[in-house]
Amino acid sequence: MAVSDRELAELVQLRPTQTLDAFKGVKKLPLEEFFTSGHRTCQGCESSLVMKMMVKAAGPRTIVLGSTGCMYVANTTYYSTSWVVPWMHTQLGSSGSAGLGTAAGLKALMRKGKIKDEPINVIAFCGDGGGADMGLSAISATLTHPDYNVLILMYDNESYANTDIQLSGSTPYGANTTFSPPGKLKRIMHHRWKKNMAGMMAAGHPTCRYVATVCMSFPVYSMNAVRKALSIGGPTFIHSLDPCPKGWDYDPMLSHELGELAVTTGIWPLYEVEEGVFRLVGKTRDIADGRLKRLPVRDYLLKQGRFAHFTEDDIAYFQSKVDETWEKWLVPGVIPFKKQIEEDRPPA
Amino acid sequence: MGRLFAVEIVYRGIFQKNLARNISRAIVLAAHHEGKPGISFGRYGDSPERNGIPAKSFAIVATDDVTLEEGMAKYEPKEVDITIVVDDTLCKGVESWAWYGLQPINRLTKPGGTLIVTSHENSETLISMAHRKETPYQLAIVKGTPSFSGLWVYKDDHSDVRILGTMAKVLPELFSLASVQQVIRAEWNDELKATSALRAYERATTVTVQPTQGNPEKPFEFQMPKWTEMREGIAIPAIPRGHQMKDPNTGEMGGYQPERNPTFKKFTTRTMRPVVDFDTCIKCTLCWLQCPDSVFDVTPDGLYDANMEACCGCGVCEAVCPVSNCITMVNETQFADNDSQWRMWKEDKEGYKGWLKEKIANRPERSHGFRFRGQYAEQVPDMLKIAREG
Repeated sequence: MAVSDRELAELVQLRPTQTLDAFKGVKKLPLEEFFTSGHRTCQGCESSLVMKMMVKAAGPRTIVLGSTGCMYVANTTYYSTSWVVPWMHTQLGSSGSAGLGTAAGLKALMRKGKIKDEPINVIAFCGDGGGADMGLSAISATLTHPDYNVLILMYDNESYANTDIQLSGSTPYGANTTFSPPGKLKRIMHHRWKKNMAGMMAAGHPTCRYVATVCMSFPVYSMNAVRKALSIGGPTFIHSLDPCPKGWDYDPMLSHELGELAVTTGIWPLYEVEEGVFRLVGKTRDIADGRLKRLPVRDYLLKQGRFAHFTEDDIAYFQSKVDETWEKWLVPGVIPFKKQIEEDRPPA
Repeated sequence: MGRLFAVEIVYRGIFQKNLARNISRAIVLAAHHEGKPGISFGRYGDSPERNGIPAKSFAIVATDDVTLEEGMAKYEPKEVDITIVVDDTLCKGVESWAWYGLQPINRLTKPGGTLIVTSHENSETLISMAHRKETPYQLAIVKGTPSFSGLWVYKDDHSDVRILGTMAKVLPELFSLASVQQVIRAEWNDELKATSALRAYERATTVTVQPTQGNPEKPFEFQMPKWTEMREGIAIPAIPRGHQMKDPNTGEMGGYQPERNPTFKKFTTRTMRPVVDFDTCIKCTLCWLQCPDSVFDVTPDGLYDANMEACCGCGVCEAVCPVSNCITMVNETQFADNDSQWRMWKEDKEGYKGWLKEKIANRPERSHGFRFRGQYAEQVPDMLKIAREG
């Protein structure tokens, strides 16, 4: 069937999908849950909290696609589920393609009048293994398609946690994982620095109108980020840092506190990039503006068994690297271009 | 045909993984010293293991190779000579995955077999926690705090060797104390551990649990759908949307209670449960919002009632609660049912206050893994003292 120019123009038009007002505080949140009890996650699993808050923010007219990982295996155990909204599994590296395909399919069905024309949220989630490692190319491709409304949410517990903690591109420097056990002769077995996924997605995809980093220890901001991403139009990306009691090795009751510490120590900056406008958010912004003193990273590191082998030197090195992101980077904690550029050629 | 011995070790996922593996490995090595071949393995179905979820390891030993091969041909043993329970709260039963239902802790224990439990509780409490069994069995208690540690850590508090020493006493046909000590010296090169095993051996006593004793409740179970009943593809029904709650006093409707996964309840993961002081609650919503398991029902009067069928006892609610002593985590051994605390409070507020006070008095120190560097080392001396002095 031939498509007229007008229809074609319609297809690629960028427009808000719907109006989703921001939640005004914890007491104004909707009570209804669309991801409920009875999943086989760890005690104190923050990633399952991401699932709960993500669909609470999205509401009932939502389709969720999940690539392989903890949030697939644990939430759909043996022919049972804890999802209230429709959910479908997709392969490890294909959250981007599955999300795009679903959004495109819905759009086609609506255009042909086969289903009612209404905003239906499409959210594809992936873990850090499925997103930052295997699914990177598919997510990147999806973010270049301006004409489909899909949110890709990466829940980052900093390892392949489902298969018992192998290191991923998102694992922080020095952490103990199944692939990097500290030894007697060589203490630090993981030298790589964590990938900066949200920054990479924002910097590299001008068609993507919304990118944010979130952490569920800051629930209202995080849920509002999801609502913004679902209503702004086009493909969007959210990166969530989730403390993982199994892999980070800490008492499950500390889950919330570790999320807070990741932000207040400056290791996990909260920010959003909306229509190309960059904004530091919440406590991260307070730190940048000097209203809040950045806590030392040792407060965060010494609560986790995966850093139990760190010596004072290792902690100092970790601190110096975090300081560098705050003091020398073009945008604190986000864009790893040194300010040197500015110093060499000061703006006229 | 020779004799086949089977031992199961029921443990808390991740927290006790290394402990369970070391015990089942040492069992096979000790039997090997006496010329009996054996094999130790973790239950494949428990993988991927999650924090706190009940899991199992097995050790199978036989008097000859053919008998062992016959025993190994089964996916997992149908009955065991000894059930080792390395955390006492597991005595309430275990639910490992969806559809399994609640399995009594003594389900696989042979008639006359032994349940070995690590606990500070006495035999009466432990017997009342376990479900009734048609045939009598023995109960042996290894006094001590259940040993919990992280994924890569092995907290060497002698729990392992004390259980092995107790085994040598209750099932001498499997291996003798001398063989166990030989293994301990070879594996750990630690004379103190060999002594701990000896002390446990000397102190081990058993009580017989009769079919009339124990929790009379019938554990919940589910019928797995047959393949003819399954839908096209692998589509399964979603959970229905939740509903309002009813106030037991006024009949007023309000609040919100989510529907929950009917085939997996998760509460056997719990070693501690939150008790809520509704009189001091300021309705800040944080426990409800931050609960990863959507445990809290919102009541018509705007309070938050932790549903004990769904709670796995992570303790995040206690951590985020801004009011001191409003939510308190209490040892799971102190409770006999999963009833709603809010209903209890609604029906008798003074009575509830007394109940709450009594429960909080039994508040244990939490030790679900790593809280600060050096914590495990701090916990070990207490256990070694118990190992030495009983």
